[in-house]
Amino acid sequence: MRTLIVLLLLSATTSAIATENEQAASWLKKLSLSLKQLNFSTSFVVVKNNQAEPYHWFHGINENGKELEIISLLNGPRRDVLRKGGVVSYIEPELPPYSISTQQIMGPIPAIFRGDMSLISASYDFISVGRSRVLGRPAQLIRIVSKDQHRFGYWLWLDQESSLLLKFALITRTGQLLEQVQFTHLEITKNASENLQQLETAELPKISEVSKSFQENDMAWQVDWLPNGFKKIKANRHRISSTKQPVEFMLFSDGLVNVSVYINKSIDKERAVEYVMDGATVVLNQVKKGFEVSVVGKIPSKTAKAIADSIILLPPTIKND
Amino acid sequence: MSESKFETVSSCVDNYQQNDAAFDDNFDEICKDSHLSDTWERYHLMGDIIRNDVPASLQFDLSAQIAAAIDSEPTILAPKVAAIKSNSFVKELRGRVVQFAKPFGQIAIAASAAGIMVLSVQQTNVAKNDTNVPQQIIQTNPFGGSAEPVSFNYQQADRKSQKQAYIQQQRRFQALLSDHHQQIKLNATSIDNENNVLPEKGEKPE
Repeated sequence: MRTLIVLLLLSATTSAIATENEQAASWLKKLSLSLKQLNFSTSFVVVKNNQAEPYHWFHGINENGKELEIISLLNGPRRDVLRKGGVVSYIEPELPPYSISTQQIMGPIPAIFRGDMSLISASYDFISVGRSRVLGRPAQLIRIVSKDQHRFGYWLWLDQESSLLLKFALITRTGQLLEQVQFTHLEITKNASENLQQLETAELPKISEVSKSFQENDMAWQVDWLPNGFKKIKANRHRISSTKQPVEFMLFSDGLVNVSVYINKSIDKERAVEYVMDGATVVLNQVKKGFEVSVVGKIPSKTAKAIADSIILLPPTIKND
Repeated sequence: MSESKFETVSSCVDNYQQNDAAFDDNFDEICKDSHLSDTWERYHLMGDIIRNDVPASLQFDLSAQIAAAIDSEPTILAPKVAAIKSNSFVKELRGRVVQFAKPFGQIAIAASAAGIMVLSVQQTNVAKNDTNVPQQIIQTNPFGGSAEPVSFNYQQADRKSQKQAYIQQQRRFQALLSDHHQQIKLNATSIDNENNVLPEKGEKPE
């Protein structure tokens, strides 16, 4: 009898968890639809390292069903991202303006939020936690929790009415807050805002083609260990723009988080591991046997260290230019 | 006049005070006049009775008892302020000195303000010369920590190289961070070319 009750209880809790997960997944689906379909103008503040960066974000659909989007940083030198359908332009102080043919804006909002979140369900659990009040609206809290200890989690507060973002935060497994994005204003309108209508007539910079020869694949090294779900997105040789240091580079992604790995020959023989945290982004750097290895991404420093240590140089064809 | 005195007493009992000269004068007189003091007492008693707030045993002579107690206490012999005349002379002199010294004091304040300005301007100039040092945006944490040299002769030279190594390190970190963001932006292409789905390339062992 007792075992039966225990079993019943167990099945009840597991089914409750299952429905919670389903709820969370449907919330995230609604979020991605809202981010693609609604006309909204909103402001948010990225808070990290005791600093706050304010942004404006406009999104809208024109009469032809084309998406228009603007994300601009409001403090300091201008940093704007403009999108017209499948062309994204970046206006930044470091580089002349350039455009890329893509639908994804790589900015303070993770691109996957408007994509298919089920793609990352192998590495993350989605949990619907509860309700609270954010930005003066009733909000639903959804947690995106890593299935292993090698990643951070995301907490999302979504508007109950529109499913749009009201707040999100990067949080360690022990509950420490690393970075958060707090929305300070949200307006959903019937038509695209005036700024977006201006964008429609504006001319964007020319699309810069990323030449295929630039994307080399034959590296003389490989990364032996990565957390589950990370895939190699690209590999190339390039120079780091500010230091002109030539590097061999690989980019990995688990769909939510990007991790860059750099290798170059160093004048030092050995250098102990050093790392810094920029909010949730770790920058880790070490020199081993004359090779400098760097790992950058929104991952715990332990994970970055493990990735750096797992790099194998392939002996026969070590090329260095 | 006495009418207004009674009024003053009444308003004092009600804890209602006016801030005018007539009130103050009346108040002083009330304090001196024993008849009015009795009135004060009586008013309070009436108030207490109306409020049904009378103590079990009425002590009409409480203030008198306290006064008697104070009288019976030994007198403390404080030295009286003597020689008022000489004091007034000192006061006058001091006033003159102050009058005389005032402008100097003002000049001193102005001079020190100017001095601070000169100092701070110089300091900001010094800070400007330092602009090629990259701003520390991020806090470095050594993994495990490293040994510090102990010797005294050692430090001077070492600190310089340490600072330089630190600047180098900050530069390196900043360069890597901005390159990482750049590469992510450029990468958006390859994701979209494959229909918005992450490429399932897998790790290609060479």
